[in-house]
Amino acid sequence: MNRVSKHFSLALAGLLAVTAVAGDLKIGVAEALTGGAAQYGVPIRNGFQLAADEINAKGGVNGNKLVLVIEDEQGKKEEAINVFKKLIFQDKVLMIFGPTLSNSMFAAGPVANAAKVVAFGTSNTANGITEVGPYVFRNSVMESDVLPVTVSTAVKHYKIKKVAVIYGNDDAFTKSGYDVFKKVLEDQKIPVTTTETYVKGDVDFKAQLTKIKATNPDAIICSGLAEEAANIIVQARGLGLKAPFIGGNGFNSPKMFEVSKTAGEGTFVGSPWANTNPNAANQHFVAAYKAKYGSDPNQFAAQAYDAMTIAAAALKTVKITGNLPADRQALQEALPKVSITGATGPFKFRQAAPKDGKPSGYDADQKPFIYVIRDGKFVLFTGK
Amino acid sequence: MAAFADFWATYSTLVYSVGIHALLALSLWLTLSCGLLSLANAAFMGIGAYTAALLTLNLHWPFPAALLGGAVAPAVVALIIGAPTLRLSGVYLAMATLAFGEVTRILILNLQITGGPEGLNGIPLLTTGWHIVVILAVAGYGLARIRRSRLGRAFEAIREDEVAARLMGINVESHKLAAFTLGAVLAGVAGALNAHFTFFISPREYGFENAVDILTMTILGGTTSLIGPVLGATILTLLPELMRFLHAYRLAVNGLILVVVVLFLPTGLWDARRFRQLLKNRRARKGGQP
Repeated sequence: MNRVSKHFSLALAGLLAVTAVAGDLKIGVAEALTGGAAQYGVPIRNGFQLAADEINAKGGVNGNKLVLVIEDEQGKKEEAINVFKKLIFQDKVLMIFGPTLSNSMFAAGPVANAAKVVAFGTSNTANGITEVGPYVFRNSVMESDVLPVTVSTAVKHYKIKKVAVIYGNDDAFTKSGYDVFKKVLEDQKIPVTTTETYVKGDVDFKAQLTKIKATNPDAIICSGLAEEAANIIVQARGLGLKAPFIGGNGFNSPKMFEVSKTAGEGTFVGSPWANTNPNAANQHFVAAYKAKYGSDPNQFAAQAYDAMTIAAAALKTVKITGNLPADRQALQEALPKVSITGATGPFKFRQAAPKDGKPSGYDADQKPFIYVIRDGKFVLFTGK
Repeated sequence: MAAFADFWATYSTLVYSVGIHALLALSLWLTLSCGLLSLANAAFMGIGAYTAALLTLNLHWPFPAALLGGAVAPAVVALIIGAPTLRLSGVYLAMATLAFGEVTRILILNLQITGGPEGLNGIPLLTTGWHIVVILAVAGYGLARIRRSRLGRAFEAIREDEVAARLMGINVESHKLAAFTLGAVLAGVAGALNAHFTFFISPREYGFENAVDILTMTILGGTTSLIGPVLGATILTLLPELMRFLHAYRLAVNGLILVVVVLFLPTGLWDARRFRQLLKNRRARKGGQP
């Protein structure tokens, strides 16, 4: 290198040092932004963007800016694999958030794990996700952590003796929710009067509900997504079924009230998040999201927002060397030590039980909140 | 070399997908070559994928044996359902095979062993590029030979005119069943290969949408030769990835390109006759000039 260009590059480096102290921190975001799963993927992307913008506005992480590389994985497994590989090998990101669906994580998770890159799911609730390997993380709370608390709280409140169950049997999310409910009911020794099913897209549930009504249950357990659940509740009330509902994670959406209005009064729902949670971090998140995107956030946006906060907290403790494999490894080792209080409340990681002797990834260790619907709103249940 | 290693690390799955889709398009080309408009090939792919995945996951069979299982299972199913349904023709056959596809999907959805809607995960990575290249080459060569054999000519005769073919002494029923079953074998192998590099399979991958995708690839490429389906599969697999820079608009542009192709090239992209015609015109024009 001759002297002139050496001086020039020194000057350039000095100039750069003013604008950004060191390199940017590239973080991949692989979410479903088109297709059926976009209803989850888009709020998730917004949550990441909001958190990253806020962190950067405060000067970034140790002076480094967070740069998001956002890719659409369409909610398809092949696309998820392709996007993961692109982010890992072409964009050379430090870690990846996503994909949106559990199915996509089952396909793309092994790719990240083999490349020793953290794959951080914020919306994957299926069992066995973190068994893929030690590089798979999630801050989404599994149904098996939420539903036992929901059921036992509702049983105590309503003095429930027997329940009826209805669930969607063609969807991975609602079916796995049902499996957990079934186990919880067995564990808590609550007899089931009848178990009814429906498929995605059904709009008439009167046949199933009439059968449920005939068995006279004290409560109805429903594992379904908000659209169908809201219809089920409205039609149950129409048939004169007065028993309260107990819902899974799918209930936790503002869509519930668009259809059901006040028919869902008294419904118990367990969730890691609700917009009415009074904690300061959550109040700030809800207001900031609304200001930026002009709509109310949902649970998925909140979990994404928290995930970015978690990653930033981990990155703060990592000394970025510029050696990509070493930095990725350091990040993987730093993440499990993070504990924060975010929009979803206090959070820390818990390593999943190893499978076949191989180490597993990290699940969320978080206490769910129990909400009850009153006056067409989710209200934090306080035992009264 | 490093650049190639990076490229391969990023796009190997995409290249594998091209091969799988080419196999699927060829499987449909085979049934179409006998005049059968079948929408069952996605279901056969699913049967092959589930059979092979269950064989490696639960019984720890070696990969070649599992592949064979993934070929035989859909063939058996094709023989059983083919006998009654292949009496139908045209749209009626399409409807019957469509119904069969739905039945298969719902069956997989409700069985215990298939994992229901949650699918099967943790399928080992066993498919390598060589498997796909060799199987695709064997399939291509085999189909090219069949095309020029007595069997292939019989398929063509049946497609052009079933009554005339029957009068020529061709056993129409058994020939149709042969085309349908061989197509099922190809689709099943494609499914088995696909399951072993995507780590995960679920019933919704083998539904109506996938059946239409396979049909689109075959028709877009053109059914007049073997190159057409392979070309169609390659383009339809690569196009969305090449247009990733368009972000939100890429699916719209993807659709637009398809519409344009179908409007202006109704016989598909690859039509040997059209190419010959073009060549002849050019030669004629050259010869005509003083």
